[in-house]
Parts: sequence; structure tokens; C-alpha cells
Amino acid sequence: MDTSRQFDRPQAPSWGWFWQAVTGIGLIVLLALHMIAHHFVVPEGLRNFQEVQDYLRTPIIVILEVLFLAAVVPHALLGVRAILFDLGLSERAEKRVSRALTVIGALTIGYGLWLTWTITQFK
Amino acid sequence: MATQPYQPSKLRRTLVWGDIRKRRLGMIAYVLNRITGIGLVVYLYLHLIILSMLAGGPGSWDPFVTLAKSPAFLALDVVLIAGWLIHGLNGVRVGLNGFGIGVRAQKAMFVGLMVVAVIGIAAMALAIFVKG
Amino acid sequence: MTLEIPIKIFRYKAGDTAPHYDTFRVKVAEAANVLDAIEAAWAEHDRTLTFRHACHHASCGACAVRVNGVEKLPCITPVSEAWPGQGEMLIEPLRNFPIISDLVVDVAGFFQRMIASGLIITRTAESTLPLSAEPSGSVPQPVQIPDGLERLNRFESCVECGICISACPTMAATDKFFGPAGLAGIYRARQETGDRALATRLLELADGEHGVWRCHSAYECTEACPQDVDPAGAIMALRRELIGYRLKRLFGR
Repeated sequence: MDTSRQFDRPQAPSWGWFWQAVTGIGLIVLLALHMIAHHFVVPEGLRNFQEVQDYLRTPIIVILEVLFLAAVVPHALLGVRAILFDLGLSERAEKRVSRALTVIGALTIGYGLWLTWTITQFK
Repeated sequence: MATQPYQPSKLRRTLVWGDIRKRRLGMIAYVLNRITGIGLVVYLYLHLIILSMLAGGPGSWDPFVTLAKSPAFLALDVVLIAGWLIHGLNGVRVGLNGFGIGVRAQKAMFVGLMVVAVIGIAAMALAIFVKG
Repeated sequence: MTLEIPIKIFRYKAGDTAPHYDTFRVKVAEAANVLDAIEAAWAEHDRTLTFRHACHHASCGACAVRVNGVEKLPCITPVSEAWPGQGEMLIEPLRNFPIISDLVVDVAGFFQRMIASGLIITRTAESTLPLSAEPSGSVPQPVQIPDGLERLNRFESCVECGICISACPTMAATDKFFGPAGLAGIYRARQETGDRALATRLLELADGEHGVWRCHSAYECTEACPQDVDPAGAIMALRRELIGYRLKRLFGR
């Protein structure tokens, strides 16, 4: 147990758990919609390429899928962050982990957007 | 001159969360959420990688769709559904409790939500294998 | 009736490369508590065994150990509960504290947190200082207790035994977590103190990255607490208070 009396200093507030909870609430709805839209509305449960392309023509669909991506990636990576922080890392290491996960998250969302765009443009 | 007090190694301490012997329902719920969470993150990135086949058009995506309808794949889908039902429903409990709601009822909430999860998993499994 | 119990005790002395376990066969009364068995091991088998004990009735919190892997106050745990008649009764020190010697752990970090939690509570009804001389007909008031003496009075239920710290999986993972006892202390101190600035400072301390948000909702602290403090409840209640506080700050109040 740490005995450095760090608690005598003012503490910076923590935001990770809060966003974990908020994205979690969003995911309850968005994941349900995602599952319904992809597996329960489709006759065989899965779309072939042409069906995927047609599916992505509706703007509201694209918006919902992007929102889903924007909720699931932070939620997942905040979870990974919580697990990594339980490795008893130093303050510097924790900052590095946070930064690295932010970059990974941004790249993941960027990839998702790129993929959606590529599918709709495929001839 | 004074020797350092004894503490178990850092590795052992980071693995303490996985030891559920003599632990009670709240801790079981936490471990379950963590394990399903890890599984779901792995799935998420696998899923995103597989989706890259869509960038190759029907030639690369459609063969995959055939594979994805095989019984082995569908069985894995049920495992996935079990993962996110358990994680999501317990997550609702963690979220509510974490805002100070229903804390004294946390054990009852866990049992009730896991019953819902089991029913949900059974219903989804039926839908998947009956729909084909 | 006497029982003869094999008691297996964690041993570690400064300078040892690793801990080991010693098993002693101790004779105790059937109605004895686990602490009696530990004392019998010390008295009749090995005088080098070190352990803490004081009040023997669960109000000092000194004797806390793990009995068969579960955190307990051995002074109030009957041997009949801890030893089913076969096998060994396993005694180990609390988890998540550095171990100084055998069952004695280093509680410096724990008490730093308890002090930082603001449990400076004076219950004037318990003051033993003389009442001021008031004219007859009015209620005598206790004198102001001098600074410093207040810190000796603590919050009612918590006996600061450290059992919740031992049970907590987050405390195992990270040295810096403020811990269930300290956070419950903050919650209690905020209820008791009339000093608004202190109450706010304590809330901000709970808001830190090593505060309430590190809790993973395992609830082991509440389950293990021998005094029904419900630290998990206090942590969740603090989270609710913090959301309110942050929202108020966001909207500029």
C-alpha cells in the first residue's frame, strides 16, 4: 500500500468511468438496433455484398452505424484501459497507456468510416 | 539496516482478480464482466478485420457469407450472443449501482439479470438454428 | 470439552527469502474463538509468533487476519465455525498490506488514508472534559475540545481493522487506490462536518483518479466488513454526489 501521502495534494478528477457508463447506456440501444438490422430483418440472417451496399444507401442507417462505432470503440478501449491500469502502473505509464489507446481508438473509428465509404463507392 | 517487509510479487497481485475462491456474488459478477469484456474486445477487432473483405467487393465477401452460415460458425455466434447479453445486462446493474441506485439490492439484481440473460441466449439460439 | 486443532499459520520474519507455514496442534475449549487458538500456538509452541490483539471483543480492529482464506476478526470467530472437525485451520495475514512479521502487517498507508479522509469527528456527548459553569436553569455546554484531541475520536461503526482493504480486488491491483475504508470515511466525514470547504475538499479527494472511480463494484468490502459499515454503499453514494457536484460546476453554480 502506497505511503507517499499523495492524498495531501488536490486530486485531478477522473473521467474514464463516466464515459464508460455513458457509452454503455448508448450501446444497449445501438447494439440492439445493430443486431436487429443485420440479422433479424434479413431473410437468411446475413447480407451478401450487393445487399450490404443497398443497405448502406439509406442515410439514417449510415448515421446509426457510425454512432454505434463511435460508442463501441471508446467503451471497449476504456475497458482495456481499466484492465491495464490494474497492473499497478506508474503515473507516467498510465498516461502513455491512455494516449496509446486514444490513438488506437481514433484509428479504429477512422478505419470504420473509410470502410463504409469504400463499400458505398464500390462498382 | 531494516529489511523490506514482504509483499507478494506484482504478477501475483495483478492476478488476484481472477481468483474467485471464497468470493461472493458481487465479485463473481465483476470477474464475469471482465472476462466477457475481454472476449468482446477480441471479437470486435476480429469482426472489423473480417469486414475488410467488403472492400474487395462481392468476389471477396460473398464466399465468406457462405462460410458464416455453417453450423460451426453459428455455434460461435451463440457464444458471442451469450457474451454480450451477460456483459450488457450485468453492465446495466453496474451502471445503476455506480450512480447509487439499488446498491443494497445488487445481489438480487445480478441473479435476476442473469436469468434474463439465460432466457435471451436460449431464445437467440433457437432463432439462429431454426432460421438456419 | 477441549478440542485439539491443527492450526496452520503463515510465518515470515525479516530476512527470510520467502514465507512458509507452520502447523501446530493446539488444545482449546470447544467454545473458544480463533484468537484463543492463535494465542495457544504462541504460548505453548512458538514464542516467536507475532500477531496483534487487544480488546478481544471486536471494537479495536487490531486482530484482523484471514481464516481459511476469508477475512475475519478472530476474536469473535468461534473455532467451531472455522474448523469443521477435520483438516487444518489456516491463518494468514491480511492481503494487500506489506507483511512485517508473521501475522503483523504494516498499516502506515492505511492510517494515512484514514487521516486524509477527514474523520475528525467530535461527538460532544462523549466528551470527558468538564462542562463549563453555566448559570442554573440553562443547559451546561461541554467546553471546546482543544485542537488535535478531536482527531482521536473516530466514526462510529468502522473499527479500522483493514478487513475491507484485504478483501478488495482493486487494492490488490494498485498500491495507490484510496480504498473502501478511506472512502467510507470520506462519506461519513462529509455527513458530520459543518465545514463546507472541508466537505468540498473531501469530495474532490474522492473524485481523484485513485478515488471512487477505481472501484470495480466487487462488493467484497461490504461482504467482509465485521461492523456493517457498507463501504461499497458509501462509494456508490459518493459517486452520486460527485455527478451532482460536477453537473452543478458545469452549469456554473
